Amino acid sequence: MNRPDPAVLSQVSKPARYTGNEWNSIKKDHSNLDVTFALAFPDVYEVGMSHLGLKILYHILNSRPDTVSERVYAPWVDMEEAMREKGIPLCTLESGRPLSEFDIVGFTLQYELSYSNILNMIDLAGIPHLTRERDENHPLVIAGGPCAFNAEPLADFMDFFVLGEGEEVVGEIAAVVGTWKRAGKPGGRAGILELMAGIDGIYVPSFYDISYNDDGTLAAVTPNHPAARPAIVKRIIRDFDQAAYPTKPVVPYIEIVHDRIMLELFRGCTRGCRFCQAGVLYRPVRERRPETLLRLAQELVDSTGYSEISLTSLSSADYSCLNDIVHKLSEGLADQGVSLSLPSLRIDSFSIQLAQEVQKVRKSGLTFAPEAGTQRLRDVINKGVTEQDLEEAVGAAFQAGWSTIKLYFMIGLPTETDEDIRGIADLSHKVLDLYRQVKGRRGAKITVSVSSFVPKPHTPFQWYGQNTASELDRKQQLLRSLLKDRSISFSWHDSRISFLEGAFSRGDRRLGQVLYAAWCHGVKFDGWSEHFKYKVWMDAFEETGIDPEFYARRERRFEESLPWDHLSPGVDKSFLLREYQQALAGALTADCRRAACSDCGVCQGLGVDVVDWGGWA
Amino acid sequence: MRILRLEITKGEAVRYISHLDYSRAVERAIRRAKLPVAYSEGFNPHMKMAFASALSLGVTSDAEYLDVEVKTEISAADFGAALADQLPPGIVFKAIREITAQHAALMAVVNLATYRINVPPPDEGFDAAQGSVIAFNQAEEVLYVKESPKGNKQIDVKQYIAGDVGLAAAPEGIALEMAIKITPTGSVKPSAVLAVLVEQFGLAVDPAAALINRSGLYVLAESRRLSPLEV
Repeated sequence: MNRPDPAVLSQVSKPARYTGNEWNSIKKDHSNLDVTFALAFPDVYEVGMSHLGLKILYHILNSRPDTVSERVYAPWVDMEEAMREKGIPLCTLESGRPLSEFDIVGFTLQYELSYSNILNMIDLAGIPHLTRERDENHPLVIAGGPCAFNAEPLADFMDFFVLGEGEEVVGEIAAVVGTWKRAGKPGGRAGILELMAGIDGIYVPSFYDISYNDDGTLAAVTPNHPAARPAIVKRIIRDFDQAAYPTKPVVPYIEIVHDRIMLELFRGCTRGCRFCQAGVLYRPVRERRPETLLRLAQELVDSTGYSEISLTSLSSADYSCLNDIVHKLSEGLADQGVSLSLPSLRIDSFSIQLAQEVQKVRKSGLTFAPEAGTQRLRDVINKGVTEQDLEEAVGAAFQAGWSTIKLYFMIGLPTETDEDIRGIADLSHKVLDLYRQVKGRRGAKITVSVSSFVPKPHTPFQWYGQNTASELDRKQQLLRSLLKDRSISFSWHDSRISFLEGAFSRGDRRLGQVLYAAWCHGVKFDGWSEHFKYKVWMDAFEETGIDPEFYARRERRFEESLPWDHLSPGVDKSFLLREYQQALAGALTADCRRAACSDCGVCQGLGVDVVDWGGWA
Repeated sequence: MRILRLEITKGEAVRYISHLDYSRAVERAIRRAKLPVAYSEGFNPHMKMAFASALSLGVTSDAEYLDVEVKTEISAADFGAALADQLPPGIVFKAIREITAQHAALMAVVNLATYRINVPPPDEGFDAAQGSVIAFNQAEEVLYVKESPKGNKQIDVKQYIAGDVGLAAAPEGIALEMAIKITPTGSVKPSAVLAVLVEQFGLAVDPAAALINRSGLYVLAESRRLSPLEV
C-alpha cells in the first residue's frame, strides 16, 4: 500500500482522481493470485475512465479467479510534481501498489499525442524505459488499441503489442504469464517473450530487425527470432453478440467526460470513409442482437444508478434494429428516469425522427459531419451524403425545434482546393438561411468545427502527403474570413499539433529516439493545447537528426514498404490502393454491409462474417 | 407528500470528493436501490432531496443529513435498509426518520457544526500549541479575510465560534475540537479557523496536512444540541 498523503492530496486539483474506492471497483487480495495486470490509460482520470475498451478488459480480467486487474491514469501535472518531489511512485487506484510490482502493465493507444504520457508514466512507475533494459523481475510493458497497428514509434519501449480486439487475447496473455510464473519463469524475459510471440495477434518488436534504404525509406522488417512470424494479423471476435460486456462498470465519483452508461450496439463500420482508420481496423460490422442489448441495458441501469444510456458504436445510427431498440428502451426506461442519447447521427431526416424520440424534452443540439464542403470532395472521401441530405436533415431538425447545430469538417484532405474551403462556408450559411426559411426568423446557432486531416496507416490515404502546418493555417484563415455571420462560431485545431500527430501516425522505429529526447526535455499532455510544447518537439527532431516532414509531408510511392505493412488488420493493401485510386477518380464505393462485397479481404482472410440482424428494407 | 430524513456518513474513502460528487453518489445509490423518490418537473428532472449543509472537499463527516421526498408508501426502515446495501464505500447509513411536511427545511434549522481537526505533531511541542489555542480562545475578535470569486471579505471568526476551541493529544499528533455556528448571514470553515490559528496565533503545524472531520450537525435550541433527527 502506498497512498499519497493528505498533505499532497489537499494541494492538488481534483484529488479524487487518485483515491479510487468507486462503486463497482474491484479489490482483490493479491496474495492468492497468479497474475497482476495494471490497465493504464495515458491521460487524466476523467478521460481514461470514459474509455469503453479498458472497462471491457477490466471486467474480463477480473472475472478470472487467478488474475487481478487494476486501473491507473496519468497524474495531472500538479500531482506529478508532488510525486517527483516526494518520491511517490505511480500506483494503481485499487490497491495503491506501485506499477513496478505488477506482472503486466498494459497501455491503450488511442491517439499518438498520448505517447509522451506513456513514457512519463513508465518513468513515474520506476520501470526501466526501454524494453532491452528490463529483466524478468520487471513488469511486461505492453500496449494495444488502434495505434498499435503502427507500433514502430513505440517499439523501443514496449515488450509486446496486441493487435485487434482484446476480449479473448487478454485472457490468453494472463494464462500464459500465470503458467510461466508458476513454472519459475523459465527462460527469463526471453522465455516469456517467446511464449507471447506464439499467441495470435501478438507482436514482439524486439524479434524483428528493421533496415532502411539510402533515401531513408524502409527496406525490410526481418524476423531475428525463430518464434517471430513474418506478419501479425489482428484478433477479432466472431460472435460479438456473446462477447463479454462489463455490466458492472466502475461508477466514478467525480464527473468524467462520458459520464453515462455506454451500450455498444455493434463493432465495426463499413461505410468506407477513406480517411477513417477505425473503419478499417474494426472491420467487419458485427451487431449485437436487440434482445441482448435490452438485457445489458437493464443490467447496467441496475448496477450503476446512471440516468442516461448512450448508444455507442462507430456509427450508431446504422444499427439495423435502431428504431426497435430505441422504442423499447424508451418505453422500458422512461419510468425508471433513464434517458437515451445517440452520439452519432446520420445525415437524413429518419435520424431526426429518432433524435426526437431520444431527446423528447430537451433539445440540446445536434451534430452533423458532412466532413467536406463540396460534393466533389465528399465523393473523394467516400462520404456518401449530398447537400440535399444535409438540407433535409437540418430542415427536419429545425422543424422539430432544434436551433443549435454543429457541423464537423476536415481540411487538408487529398485533392482539396480553395473551392472546397469556400464550400464549407457556403454550406454553413445555407444551413443558417434554412432556419430562417423554416422558422421565419433568425435564431439558429451554428458551430463550424474544423479539424485538420492527418493521414493514418491502414487507410486508403496512407500514402498521401499531409498539408504543411502553414498551408493548414492559410486554409483556416481563409475559412475564418468567409464565416462572417455572428450566428456562426468557428473552431479549429492547432495545425502544429496535427503536424506532430502526422509524423508519429506514419512514423517508423527511428521516431522512438525523438519521443525519448522530447520526453527528456519535458513534453507531456501533448493533446492538451496548454501543455503542447512545439519548440521542444522540433528541437528533439533536430537533436536526433530526424526530419518530421519526411513522415508527415511525404507522398509515399505505392511500391514502398511501409513500417506497418507487417501489422495486419486483415484488410488487403491492394484494397486500400484501389480505394485511393477510386478517391482520385471521385468514384464511390458502397457499404458492403448492405450492398455488394467490396473485396477488402477481411471476412475471407479472418474467417468472420458481417452480422446484421435487421436485413435491409 | 412524505419526507424522510436520513443520517449518513462521509468516510475516509470519499474524503476527497466535493459536495456535488457526494450528493450525486447518494442519488445514484437511491436509484440502484430502486427507491420511490420524487423528481422535479421540467426539462431537467432532478431528485427531490436536500442536504443540511454542504461539506467541503477534503472533509469527512460522522453525520450528514438529507431530506428525501418519496412518492409511495414505503416505511422509513425499509427505505434505509434498501439504501444501505447500495451506498458506495465510505458512505454509511446510520439512521432514518419520517418527518412531517410541516417540518422546516434542514438547511434552515441546522445552526451548529462540530469539527475535529487532526494535525501532525506541532513543531514547537504540545504546550506551545496549547498557548496558541488559549490565546485564540481569549481573543475578543479575530479578523480573517475570506476569499471568494466574488471578492474578498473581512470577517470576525470569533462571532461564529461557539464556546472554546479544544486541544487534545491524538495518536498521530494533536486534535483540535471546535463548534462553529451556521447563521443565516454566514459561517466560517474549519480550515479557516485552522489557518487563523497558524497565521495569527503561531500554531506551528502544516495546515495542508490537516485531516478535518465534521463530528456533528445540530439544531441548537435553548442551549440544547439536538440532532436534526430529534427535532
